[in-house]
Amino acid sequence: MWDAAEPQAKVIQDAIAQYTKDTGVQVDVEFKGRTGIREGLEPALEAGQHIDMFDEDVNRVNGTWGKYLLSLEDMAKDYEAAYGNATLFSIARTAAGGTLKSIPYQPSIFGFMYNKDLFDKAGITAAPTTWAELDAACAKLVAAGITPITADDAYMTNFTGYHLARLVGQDMVKEIVTNGEWDNPAVLTMANDFADFASKGYFSKSIASNVYPAGQNQEFGAGDAAMIICGTWLPNEIKDVTGDSFNWGYFNYPTVDGGKDDNTANNISNQVLAIEKDSKLSKEAFQLITYITTGTYDKEMVTEALSIPTDKANSDAWPKQLTTVKTFFDATKTYYDWACDVEANNNVTPAIKENTTNLLAGTITAEKFVENMKAAGK
Amino acid sequence: MNKNRKFIIGFLAPAVIMFILVFLYPIIRTLMMSFFKIDSVTGGIETWKFEGLSNYQALITTPVFQTSMWNLFRIWFFGGIIVLSFSLLLAVILTSGIRFKKFFRAVIYLPNIVSAVALATMWLQYVYSSKFGLLTTFFNAIGLKSAAATQWLDSGHKFRALLLAYCFGMIGYHMLIWLSGIERISPDLFEAAHIDGANKPQQFWYITRPLLKGIFKTNITMWSVTSVAFFVWSQLFSTVTADTQTIVPMVYMYMQTFGAGNTVTERNAGLGAAVGVILCICVIVIFTLTNRLIKEDDLEF
Repeated sequence: MWDAAEPQAKVIQDAIAQYTKDTGVQVDVEFKGRTGIREGLEPALEAGQHIDMFDEDVNRVNGTWGKYLLSLEDMAKDYEAAYGNATLFSIARTAAGGTLKSIPYQPSIFGFMYNKDLFDKAGITAAPTTWAELDAACAKLVAAGITPITADDAYMTNFTGYHLARLVGQDMVKEIVTNGEWDNPAVLTMANDFADFASKGYFSKSIASNVYPAGQNQEFGAGDAAMIICGTWLPNEIKDVTGDSFNWGYFNYPTVDGGKDDNTANNISNQVLAIEKDSKLSKEAFQLITYITTGTYDKEMVTEALSIPTDKANSDAWPKQLTTVKTFFDATKTYYDWACDVEANNNVTPAIKENTTNLLAGTITAEKFVENMKAAGK
Repeated sequence: MNKNRKFIIGFLAPAVIMFILVFLYPIIRTLMMSFFKIDSVTGGIETWKFEGLSNYQALITTPVFQTSMWNLFRIWFFGGIIVLSFSLLLAVILTSGIRFKKFFRAVIYLPNIVSAVALATMWLQYVYSSKFGLLTTFFNAIGLKSAAATQWLDSGHKFRALLLAYCFGMIGYHMLIWLSGIERISPDLFEAAHIDGANKPQQFWYITRPLLKGIFKTNITMWSVTSVAFFVWSQLFSTVTADTQTIVPMVYMYMQTFGAGNTVTERNAGLGAAVGVILCICVIVIFTLTNRLIKEDDLEF
């Protein structure tokens, strides 16, 4: 799913070159990018094109394209014992309904990234773990004249999804958006929590209009906002803006008082490599997967793409920008899907995005949020 | 006569076959698909589930699809007025004998050959930026502080921001079409009018305007066809997840056919096909109305 110019693609190309050198097996690789693979992979497979292996997000590969995958339970036994990260393998198995059909790589976790220097300036000594602590931290930042929280439109629905999931769990979030149950009291609670923060000036003035990547580049990366809701791929994406001396911090989306899930429930996502079930070169493909996801090239992925290491033998080799992520990543025991499934209904996602943005910008009230979502139908 | 017929068939056959394969077959298949529920867009017919008209019923009752059609209508109508009138004005100015005509023509057409991604990035990250953007800086410079503080990309302004950015890029293309129409008009007519005492606006109103009827029809048809296919700009202005302010039917169709960008959602290529059929009907209606209302059989020049 990478474009050829992305650092992940370069690492994969290096791994392939080494693999071909060691084994003599030629590899024909095409970098299709995010949309290219979503649009073209299935038509290509249905037309009978020989594609031995492919990658994409764990849920898409195992969900949408699950019927094309080879089971790797036998082939990956030794691999898993030697290199397998328990968290990632658990996620991969769950995504395929209990069987291992894909090998994870390039994991990330979604939460709040923050600027440690700005936190120090405001006198905040520890990353918040609860909503009340986040409230207190934001108040200190406002007092120090620093914008507390910003976000980009691309990730706006994570506010809604995460907060609701903290209150009622991911399954209920999916039910709410699929059946239009906006009357659920958790919705109003969530909206009130955000309206409260908005009224205290905790969100950037530009949050209403940040089209990706304006928020992460112009506000957070430039040192104007202390926190941004984003995934741990952020340091890689804005390394040219922040430079090397940026003091990175991270914390999981905080626990909400009286809620069902706490901050050990988070969206850990990753890409996976999978093998086509009728591939005549499945052993060779698996060997290539081992090259890409372990040892030298996993380390190279860490240094080039500032990613979290996949291979458990590299678990001490986290990039310096993500060292604060490790405790939160390891503490995560419940795995959410993207935005906690709040985008599960195509017909209401645009309305969720717009109304959340306006709620955080303070242009609509919590009651209006609920009213607008009810009008958005299902 | 027989030999002729063989030649005719021989020369026509490749074009007809290509036409059937590339145009007719996909149109018929899309029409058929719109009556089914289909998971993968290239899935075999055995995977289709017959649904009758329920795809169309679902579309008509889905608020976000209604919003997308309304957005599209506003883009077509208001955008059409802005683009066609500005491009006509520029075409008339360029044909009125000014110097450096070729240079201006090239510059005005330039946005059309720049990639939409590059143009949209410039508008979004520079022109409309509420921190250091062109508009903010300009309004600050002339002292209009409240205008400078406007967030051009918030939900109250985003649609107009999108429309302005899109129209900017489309003016050049339609200007060229007007230019070709105006250049067809014999300069003798203008000379005769000038001798009779007509000024430039009068020459435009009584000579240029009526003789551009056919070109006007062409421009409306081209504008309608490109408007209906409005997709890239809408995606660029709302990144991965669609926005109610900028969503258009093609974006909705893409979401339904290939699934959402982040979460893995249910796909229904049949619903996407139904969107395509509805858009096709819209263009046919516009084309028919345009042909009925604008008659140019009485013109000969």
